[in-house]
Amino acid sequence: MTVIDTIRPKHREAILQSLRAGVVPRIGHQHIQVGRANEVTALLRDLVSIADGGAVVRFIIGPYGSGKTFFLFLVRAMALDKNLVAVQADLNPDRRLHASGGQARSLYNELLRNIATRSKPDGGALPSIVEKFVSTALSDARTRGVEVEVVIRERLVSLSELVGGYDFAEVIAAYWRGHDTANEELKTAALRWLRGEFATRTDARAALGVRSIVDDNNVYDQLKLLSRFVRIAGYGGLLVCLDEMVNIYKLASAQARNSNYEQILRIVNDTLQGSSAGLGFLFGGTPEFLFDTRRGVYSYTALQSRLSENRFATDSLVDYSGPVLRLSNLTKEDLYVLLRNVRNVYASGNPAAYLVPDEGLEAFMLHCSEKIGDAYFQTPRNTIREFVGLLAVLEQNPDTSWREILGSVDIASDRDGDLKMDDEDELTSFRI
Amino acid sequence: MSDLERASFDLLHEKVQRWIWNRGWPGLRDIQQESIVAVLSGASDIIISAATASGKTEAAFLPICSRLVTENAGQGIRAVYVGPLKALINDQWSRLDELCEQLDIPVHRWHGDVSSSAKQRLLRNPSGVLLITPESLEAIFVRHGSDVARLFAETHDVVVDELHSFIGAERGMQLLSLLHRLDFALKRRIRRIGLSATLGDTRVAADFLRAYDDQRDVRMITSAGGDQEVLLQVRGYRQRPPREEDQQPEEEEESVRSIAAHLFRTLRGSNNLIFANRRQVVEWLADLLARISEAERVPLEFYAHHGSLSRELRTDVEAMLKDGTRPTTAVCTSTLEMGIDIGAVKSVAQIGPPPSVAAMRQRLGRSGRRGSPPVLRAYIREQEIDARTPPHFTLHPALVQTIAMVELLLEPWNEPNDVATMHPSTFVQQLMSLIAQHGGIYPDRAWYLLCAAGPFRRIDAAAFERIVSGLVVHKIVERAINGLLLLGAEGERLVDHYTFYTAFITSEEYRLVSDGRTLGTLPVRTPLSPGSFLIFGGRRWCVTAVDERQHVIDLAPSKGGRLPPFEGHGFGDVDDRVRTMMLAIYRATTPCAFADPVAAGLLAEGRDNFRRLGLDETCVIPHGTDTLLFPWCGDRVMNTIVRALGACGVKASAEDVAILVDDVSPVDTIAHLTAIAADDSLDPHTLAATVSNKQEDKYDGYVDDETLNAAYAARRLDVPRARMVLTRMIGEFDENCRRSVAAVSNGSNKVQPV
Repeated sequence: MTVIDTIRPKHREAILQSLRAGVVPRIGHQHIQVGRANEVTALLRDLVSIADGGAVVRFIIGPYGSGKTFFLFLVRAMALDKNLVAVQADLNPDRRLHASGGQARSLYNELLRNIATRSKPDGGALPSIVEKFVSTALSDARTRGVEVEVVIRERLVSLSELVGGYDFAEVIAAYWRGHDTANEELKTAALRWLRGEFATRTDARAALGVRSIVDDNNVYDQLKLLSRFVRIAGYGGLLVCLDEMVNIYKLASAQARNSNYEQILRIVNDTLQGSSAGLGFLFGGTPEFLFDTRRGVYSYTALQSRLSENRFATDSLVDYSGPVLRLSNLTKEDLYVLLRNVRNVYASGNPAAYLVPDEGLEAFMLHCSEKIGDAYFQTPRNTIREFVGLLAVLEQNPDTSWREILGSVDIASDRDGDLKMDDEDELTSFRI
Repeated sequence: MSDLERASFDLLHEKVQRWIWNRGWPGLRDIQQESIVAVLSGASDIIISAATASGKTEAAFLPICSRLVTENAGQGIRAVYVGPLKALINDQWSRLDELCEQLDIPVHRWHGDVSSSAKQRLLRNPSGVLLITPESLEAIFVRHGSDVARLFAETHDVVVDELHSFIGAERGMQLLSLLHRLDFALKRRIRRIGLSATLGDTRVAADFLRAYDDQRDVRMITSAGGDQEVLLQVRGYRQRPPREEDQQPEEEEESVRSIAAHLFRTLRGSNNLIFANRRQVVEWLADLLARISEAERVPLEFYAHHGSLSRELRTDVEAMLKDGTRPTTAVCTSTLEMGIDIGAVKSVAQIGPPPSVAAMRQRLGRSGRRGSPPVLRAYIREQEIDARTPPHFTLHPALVQTIAMVELLLEPWNEPNDVATMHPSTFVQQLMSLIAQHGGIYPDRAWYLLCAAGPFRRIDAAAFERIVSGLVVHKIVERAINGLLLLGAEGERLVDHYTFYTAFITSEEYRLVSDGRTLGTLPVRTPLSPGSFLIFGGRRWCVTAVDERQHVIDLAPSKGGRLPPFEGHGFGDVDDRVRTMMLAIYRATTPCAFADPVAAGLLAEGRDNFRRLGLDETCVIPHGTDTLLFPWCGDRVMNTIVRALGACGVKASAEDVAILVDDVSPVDTIAHLTAIAADDSLDPHTLAATVSNKQEDKYDGYVDDETLNAAYAARRLDVPRARMVLTRMIGEFDENCRRSVAAVSNGSNKVQPV
């Protein structure tokens, strides 16, 4: 056994704890990821195109527990690998794309709090991004022998073309001044402005001398600025992951829903027309969020026609190039591999410590589908929770064998055998 | 696209067309095409009849909404939808709102659970489409009588959903009367559009829609997709004969447990409906299934659903069915028979014989959407035969009745709906409502409105006068000096209470509460004391407190349990045609195609016993000192025979398929029957007069005896048919006697049946 195969205790604990609670682990995806190869390939292509200055929007659609969040985390991890900057947030009633009571700014706050790069995958990477921008400007100035301020102004010129770009550039310049004069207060103020933490214009003006702040009305514009900025700073682009989009569907007011869908329409239009660059959006949501014609995205006619699925891609025919990516259910084989992976994590990668043999995995799957019913295990979340529960029982009760726990399946089917006599469920067909 | 499809689509307003296009429909269904043409280019009443979930609501409302967008109108409600259930109205409201939102047509609901502020808004500013129950419509007439003409000034269409559920019932009469009063108030005919899901005989529905109007003109629109595959099975279960010493409650009996076990095995994992005829059966089945699920340690999928459960519990079950993410099976009474949208249901189970063929068809139609055929399994328990089993129960009548009903279902045939009934109770209610609406009314005008030109055709001038005089005695109405009818003291009290709006009896009930959550209601007569147990909503409870004054019972979850005694029998009258079919089944020898082995065995046993008792040759057999009659006719005719025998001083009672004549020999019985058959003066009213308790409906207590007799005669007796049946029975008896005599004289040793 090689060292690579072992799983670090930190990863093991984090993964198992998340799985048992039915949530997605933040780290160690590679240890449990299975299946969805086509989807992953499609997204990988997207990431490459973002890094090349393209723009991408994808709706990741699947029922509760089908692995949307897991998939988003996985793509995020891949994005960081491709030298993209990733921001990520869950929508909730207080965080939406469009609002008038600060809820959109709150979403922006959350996104920027979770900003991650390859070297800072856990979030909070904003200072290092700005720092990187400044330091590359510094070295450029040194080689060219010009004032740093000049280099920075030069680089920020392209930002000023965008909506709100002038103030954005001013803020970055203020950061440089803080850097240059060792004025920590100014640097912090600039970062606070970038994170959308200024609540009033007066405060921002006093601290940085800019006339605008990030507020409910310019969240998307700000993200576009950010994407251009990270490219200037030397990253490939920006990936924005928004999960739990179903919260828009749940908004009680039709007007509020529509203005949120309007924002989505802007994003979709900009992306599909190629007017934004190096920017990718991933929206995770349940089918009703997208397809419901009363409250969902489809209630907004302009979006429905843009997002409607390829009519020719039905049943076994697939099309991964459209903006809507439906997460298909895991196949039995995928599920089997997934259980193997979980078992492997549980044993810290040591095959000698496996709590159940392969045969036990099959018995467990049979137990799920026949005893409790397939309907409860269409989503990986439930299956894994149940399986982690089984492993936990086996670990803490070393005298018990998996057969004793899962074996009850067989006992039950034996008992059914006695009742075989009245089990003839033969329906007769008629036509009326 | 066919010509009709294009023509009908072109008739619609552009906005409605766009809405249809946005929905991504592949095309309009046949009933929708026809109804669009009928509504937009005709003025006749319309019946739209098609299976559940085949777009009937849209068929009616696409053209109506199209008209509403096209035409300009003043202030007033522009279309009315009447539905039998609040849940159905809520369901349709969310569907219609989606369409109407884009057309800028407001949609209002109005029923008991709608806030009064919403109602006030509508009263101030009537507009758009109104969804309402008959009871709430009644309330508008009573409370806002003078506003009716203003509120409905712009109404041109009334849509009645689940039309079949109204036919023949008190509510149907009430609805007809209300719609007629609406026409009368507006001085024009409002078009009526009936939606009916029941396949089969649609003529009855057409007759009902404007039953009292000889000039009626009804257009029938029936779905062409008639030939549909259905999957059926009748399952038999043998039940141990009951013994005196049995301490075991019925729900623990072996046959009940096997039914529950089979339901558990076959239905688990998909969405289904289990229909039982009584709430009590619903309760113990739900409880048994819950206990099996617990013992097997699997998630619970079986939930009770009936009228006594609170609205939250019921809507929870409906939402689970509709949601479809977790398999759910509802154990229910007729509550889920109606077209509430509960998503796709895989199969339907019927416990015990169905109440009627029409109900069975309706229930079957709830299953099998999205391409798969409807599935119905009927579970019938029959007693094992022992020495003490009475002869008519050795025929296994419940099973054979079910088989007969399935045969009729396949024929296809439905019970004709009883539109001949007099409904004096509903008449009293409508008269009070009419007085309240106008603040007083002259009798000749009331008679003309309700009886001469209205739905109470069977109440003639004399009966009207008699009923009104009776109401005066009961202080329901008063006569002013100029003859004007006003509400009396008692009448005012009745009209002021909200229970007045229902035409049927609603008994006062206890509210069951657990942890501050209302579970549902139980009838007041239930004897419950603290410490006793009961099963409710499929779960077991212990009574912790009873508040007599506020009618509240507090419950805590518990392991023990006793069945609550529910009122209501849930069985309709068995029709003549069903009994005739049963006779044909007993006479035949062909095996039943849809019976499981046990049911087939029971059927064979029943047929053997049928022949052993000689019932293929006679319909009169001795049973000890008593006589059993097998008239093979419906409950109404059997009741007539029983009453006629009673009038001759003979004690007789109807027991399932047979009439038991107490302590009279067959020959004497035939003598009595001959006398009855020959008696031309036999008058249904005289027979009705011998019946002691005829107060069946809500306001029957205020109706005079003569009217009650007439109503009873019309509803429960059928003298001409009873005569025909008796003549046939006597003929068969005589023929059989002659044959037996001949057989004996020929030296045959065949046992004489009599």
